[in-house]
Amino acid sequence: MRLISILSNSKAYELLRTLQRDKSASTGLWLLIVFSIIVLFAPIIAPYGPNEAIPSLRLAPPGTPGHLLGLDHQGRDILSRIIHGTRLTVITAVTPVVIGALVALPLGLLAAWYERLGVLILRTMDVLFAFPMALLAILVTSSLGAGIINLLISLVIVLLPYYVRIVHQAAASQKALPYIEALRVSGTPVRTILFVELLPNVAPAAIVYGATVLGSIVVTAAGLSFLGLGVQPPLAEWGVMISEGRNVIFIAPHVAALPGAALTLFVIACNLLGDGIRDALDPRARATLSYQANLSK
Amino acid sequence: MIRLIINRIFATILVLIGVSFVVFAALHFSPGDVARTILGLGATEERVQALRQELGLDRPLLIQYWDWMMALLRGDLGRSISLGVPVSEVIFDKIWASLLLMGASFFLTVSFGLLFAALSGGYHRSLMDRLITLLMLLLASLPPFWLGIVLLIIFGLKLRIFPISGVGAMADDATLYVVAMHLILPAVTTAASSLAVVARVTRSAFIDEMGEPYVQSARARGLSQRRIISIETMRNVLPSFVTIAGLQIGFLFSSALFSEIVFNWPGIGLQLYLGIVQRDFPVVQGCVLAIAIVFVVGNLLADILSIALDPRRRG
Repeated sequence: MRLISILSNSKAYELLRTLQRDKSASTGLWLLIVFSIIVLFAPIIAPYGPNEAIPSLRLAPPGTPGHLLGLDHQGRDILSRIIHGTRLTVITAVTPVVIGALVALPLGLLAAWYERLGVLILRTMDVLFAFPMALLAILVTSSLGAGIINLLISLVIVLLPYYVRIVHQAAASQKALPYIEALRVSGTPVRTILFVELLPNVAPAAIVYGATVLGSIVVTAAGLSFLGLGVQPPLAEWGVMISEGRNVIFIAPHVAALPGAALTLFVIACNLLGDGIRDALDPRARATLSYQANLSK
Repeated sequence: MIRLIINRIFATILVLIGVSFVVFAALHFSPGDVARTILGLGATEERVQALRQELGLDRPLLIQYWDWMMALLRGDLGRSISLGVPVSEVIFDKIWASLLLMGASFFLTVSFGLLFAALSGGYHRSLMDRLITLLMLLLASLPPFWLGIVLLIIFGLKLRIFPISGVGAMADDATLYVVAMHLILPAVTTAASSLAVVARVTRSAFIDEMGEPYVQSARARGLSQRRIISIETMRNVLPSFVTIAGLQIGFLFSSALFSEIVFNWPGIGLQLYLGIVQRDFPVVQGCVLAIAIVFVVGNLLADILSIALDPRRRG
C-alpha cells in the first residue's frame, strides 16, 4: 500500500532521494548511467567496428598495442565488440521487461475485476510457473526458432506469470477500497475504472518488480544467445561472444572471459539498483530502518 | 494440515496436465514440418505425407494430444530422431547424472546459504556481515554459463586440480573420489546464484529475529551469541529458510542446464541442448517434460515441508 501511495503521489523524486542515500543503490544507478552512455555512443567510443577484423592478430592477448583487451578468434577487437555488444545486451533485456509489464497490466487488472476470467488467467499463469525460467525460454525459442524477435517474445512469456500475479494482487487489494466502490455506484464505466483509476495505482508494483527482475533477465537473455537460441553471430552480443570464446578457451581464455566480466558487471549494477528500489518502497525494510534510527537516538 | 496438503497435491496434478499441454503445443506450433525435419529435405512429398499419417500429424490437435498423453502415461515418449532409441530410455539413462548434480548443488545451496546467512545476519553490521553481503551480491550476479567457463579456465586448465569434462563421472568403474572430483566445479557453478539468494533472504530473517524480545531475554540469561544464533533463532528462521530454499529449485534447474553444457556433464540438460541443436523434437519434448515434472514435484515437497514446519499452518 505504501509502495503504491509513494509513486502515485508522483513522488518519484522522493524515491530518487531515498536511492541517493542508499550507497549501494546509487552505485548501481551510476553504473547503469555509464552503461546507458555506452549504449548511446557505442560507435563513437569504440576504437574499431564490431566486425572489423585484423586476421594477423587473431587471438592476440590483452595489452596488444592498440587493442587493450586483445582480439578474438577472427581478429576482431574485443573491447570494441564489448562496447558495441552493450547495445544488444541492454535491448534484449530491457525490451521484454517493459513489454511484459505492458501486457501484464491489462491481464492482471481484468483478472482482478472479473473473478471467473481471473481464475482462468491465474491458472494459466500457474502452468507457466511450473517451468524453470530458462527452461521455458528455451522451450519457446526452440519452438519459434532462433533470432532477436523470438528471443524477446520468449522472455515476455517467461516474465508474464510473475508480472500478472503481482498486478493481480495489487489490483485486488485496491478493488476493496471505498473509492472504487464509489466509482462503481456512480455508474463509471468499467474500462474507466480499470484503466484510468486503478491502473496508476497498480503500475508501481509492476515497475518495482521489473526493476528487481532485470538482472535475471539480462542473464537469461545472454544465456539464450550463448546457447545459439537468441542473437546470432556475427552480431556483437555478450552471450554470443562468450559462446564463441568457449571454443578457444584452451589457447585464448580471455576471449570468453572478458565479455562475461562485462556481463557480470552489468548484472551487478541491475541488482544493486533493483534491490535499492525494492528496499526504498518495501514497508518492511523501511520499518527496520526507522527501528535502527530509533535505536541510535 | 492433511487437507491443505491434499489440496496442494490436487492443484499440482492440474498444473502437470497444463504443463504437458504446453510442452505438446509448443513444439506443435513450431514452424516447419516435423515429418519433413525427420526425413530431411531430400525426401519426396509422398514419403513426408506417409510419415505425417503414421505419426498422426494430420489429425485434429486435441486428438493428437489425447493420444500423446495416453502414450505418456504408459511411459512412451516416442522415439529419438537422432539416436533411434525410445526417448524414455534416453531420459532414464541421463536423469541420474542430472539428479546427482542437482542434489549436490542443492546441498551446497542450503548448507552454505544457511551458514552465510547465520554468519552475516547473526552478526548484523559487523565486518564479516559486510564482506559476506558483498560476496553474495557477486555470486547472485554471476551468469552460470560464464562462471562455469571461468572455473574451468582457473581450476581445470591453469591449476589442473579438477577434470574439465564431466563425462568421466558416469563411467562404470568411477570411484566415489572420481565422481566427487568431477562433480565439484559443475555443482559450484550451478549453486552460486541460488546460494546467494538463500543467504540474503535468510539473513534478513535472522536480522528480524535478532530484534525479538526472546533474544534479548536469552542474552540477559547469559547465552552466548553463537548459541542464540545456532539454537534459539534457528528454529524460527527455518520456515522462511525452507520456503526460499524450495523456491531455488527452479533456478538450480536453469543454472544446471548451463553448467551441464559448459562442463559436458552427461545429464538431461546437455541432452536437451543436443536435441535442440539436432532438431530432435521428441527428445526436446521429453527432456523439457522431465525437468518440469521434477521441478513441480520438488516444489510440492518443499511446500509440504514448509507447511509441516510452520506451527501456524500445521493446524
